[in-house]
Amino acid sequence: AEVEETLKRIQAHKGVIATIVVNGEGIPIRTTLDNSTTVQYAGLLHQLTMKARSTVRDIDPQNELTFLRIRSKKHEIMVAPDKEYLLIVIQNPCE
Amino acid sequence: LQVFDEEGKDVTPHPLFHSDPNTVVPRQGKLLASSAYFGATGSVFLSSFSMHQPSGANASLEQKRSCLLTSYNFSDVQVRQEEIKEELTKADLDRRVDLYLTETETIWMLDMPSVVVSVESEDAARVLERNRIYVDICTNRPGSDRFVEKMMQTVNGAAKNKEVQCDKIIMEDKGMMVTSWDLYDSFHVSEIEPTSKAEGSRTPTGKSSKPHTTKEHNQTMSVSSDRGSTTSTMILESAVLGRIHEEEECHSEAILTSENFQQDLFFMERILMENIFQPKLAAYRQFPVLTDPNVTSDTNGTVAAVKEAKQEKHDKEKKDKEEQKEAFIDPSILSGLNKTLEEIVPPRLERLWSYVCDLTNGHSVSSMVWSKVNPDLLAVGYGAFDFKEQKKGLACCWSLKNPMWPERIFQCEHGVTALDFSMASPNLLAVGMYNGSVAIYDVRSCNDAALLDSSESSNKHTGPVWQLRWVEQDRGATGDGKKERLISISADGRITEWLIQKRLDCTDLMKIKRTESEKKKLPGEKERKSEALISQQAAGMCFDFHPKDTNFYLAGTEEGHIHQCSCSCNEPFLKTYRGHKGPVYKVAWNPFSTDMFLSCSADWSIILWHQDSQTPILTFSSATAFVHDVMWSPKSAFIFAAANESRVEIWDLSVSTLNPVISRFANPRVKFTSVLFAKNTNCLLVGDSKGEVSVFELQNLAAPNSNKV
Repeated sequence: AEVEETLKRIQAHKGVIATIVVNGEGIPIRTTLDNSTTVQYAGLLHQLTMKARSTVRDIDPQNELTFLRIRSKKHEIMVAPDKEYLLIVIQNPCE
Repeated sequence: LQVFDEEGKDVTPHPLFHSDPNTVVPRQGKLLASSAYFGATGSVFLSSFSMHQPSGANASLEQKRSCLLTSYNFSDVQVRQEEIKEELTKADLDRRVDLYLTETETIWMLDMPSVVVSVESEDAARVLERNRIYVDICTNRPGSDRFVEKMMQTVNGAAKNKEVQCDKIIMEDKGMMVTSWDLYDSFHVSEIEPTSKAEGSRTPTGKSSKPHTTKEHNQTMSVSSDRGSTTSTMILESAVLGRIHEEEECHSEAILTSENFQQDLFFMERILMENIFQPKLAAYRQFPVLTDPNVTSDTNGTVAAVKEAKQEKHDKEKKDKEEQKEAFIDPSILSGLNKTLEEIVPPRLERLWSYVCDLTNGHSVSSMVWSKVNPDLLAVGYGAFDFKEQKKGLACCWSLKNPMWPERIFQCEHGVTALDFSMASPNLLAVGMYNGSVAIYDVRSCNDAALLDSSESSNKHTGPVWQLRWVEQDRGATGDGKKERLISISADGRITEWLIQKRLDCTDLMKIKRTESEKKKLPGEKERKSEALISQQAAGMCFDFHPKDTNFYLAGTEEGHIHQCSCSCNEPFLKTYRGHKGPVYKVAWNPFSTDMFLSCSADWSIILWHQDSQTPILTFSSATAFVHDVMWSPKSAFIFAAANESRVEIWDLSVSTLNPVISRFANPRVKFTSVLFAKNTNCLLVGDSKGEVSVFELQNLAAPNSNKV
């Protein structure tokens, strides 16, 4: 459906290294990386997202975390968190 | 067990404690932490215990029980308990327990309030005397003989040690870090539950408007929220807050098909785009493009450290607020700034990006138009270039935020030849097609179907609709204020106005009659018969309404004539301008000096006319190619752009009338078909025959001034 199309387009983009969808329990549902790396990313990013969300809500409980971006030397990790899932895209923008 | 001493007196040791049969008895069994609930085992049990002294065989057991009782009942005595006779169930353990701590009344043991006596009363003397005596006694006491210290022995009851055993009281330490949001959540859970039902019904409607988030529309638009920088509403935010409580498990399908996921994907795509296109977009918006000092990459390398402003992914308002922190010094601009008077950097067109995708490949761009409300939204019509090969056409809406995939795709039966957005209801897009029909689409919905179609109309055009425009008309007569009309011109020679009712219907404004061109009579020629005209009507190719007075408009025809007409009178033409020798593809009034207009035609020339003069003022011809499109710049009265087949040219009349200021060649085998200036920025969009819409930035063009010519 549209979701599939959009997902495919994202994966096909220039510079996108990986796309990972993780469910609420930390189990990857969709991924374009090998399993071990995926699990590693999922676990680490999940914790970071919890912490980020906690930070945002501590400052103002009515606020809510909607998006998280981590820029590093080599790439950029973008996480769209939700109650039931995590959408992670890793992009290398400098090509 | 009874004990008798020598005299037979019953000196059985009484139990240390006589419990009140009325107090609540703890259940035999585990010790409970909460003292609020007690099982009601019988006071019967207790009384039986106090009555007999069971035999030694059960002594230990009894003792144990007694221990239980004593340990419990001590707490009983001290704290007044309400009599609650309930069975403790497992559910109770989870229940919320309210503990009330109260203070008992103060018990007065000795209350001797002091008495104050007035000095002048009768008793005063006596009281003073007594006080004095008392004081004397106090001072005399320590050393005098009358007071002797003496010790006394009080009767001490016989102390008896009694050992008690009880089950080990298990204590558990439990700690928890509470965050303020945790507190907030717990308090609000009860509030959210009843409202979630209400919101559950609201979110579907909220979510249906989510796809439109891509459009950056103002509040005035009926389209809801917008993403990123634009100013529109935050409906997505409400969708986030009003999450439906779902009890379903985290099935992967459920996740993948959920609305939120779609949303997230959508935003993710946009963010990716932004990362890829950041420097170009910055140039578009005319921000200074900066370089990241950390990145040691290529010459092109500008990786934006864009501040995170996506909120609401759902809040599309952030778009404009994103600030690019990277620095990339554009050499030409820098050199331009530092130049001395001798060197002047020539103006150039720099290509930023193209709107292109697989779908549009192969179609030719026939027209482009900006949305009236949202300056970043572009509608492009695609149709076949040659009239011989007609395929199905497309109309796409592109957004600045996603240059790689259009926001809306409308498939049309026939090639699209003209497009326009409405001003009054900015979500309506009128599309004119090669077979003469006109359709109206609502860009709010992703639906492919047209809102209205003119196929059933009996009066529709029989030739391709070459131009469509929504025109605001002053309807002073009807007192209606400004109304909008949809006007089209087509190859069957009619200029018609379409009425938007249940079905699209139209009325003719004007029929273009053929006019005979003036022929010189050569001497010696016989008189010719007047031409037998195949049809009384000439095919109309384009029109333009006067920017100030919308009663007048110009119409260009296939024969090369341009007619000035008026809406109010039916008489064919007010004026005719003859000058072109081929079909006039476009006419355009100058937006600043409104007496002048331009026309371009297939006879390789562009002509500048003055309204009052029937002969051309200036003719520009720079190439031997059809000029497909021409447009005045919205910023300057002197600048216009023209699309020849193989080049796009920018002319600046203040600089030169013989040569274009900038001229850019197309790739071979590709022809440029249309141009469009961007209103809010210095960019030019050029569409070509392969379906690509390229965005060029105009650099170093002379400063605009809108003086009249």
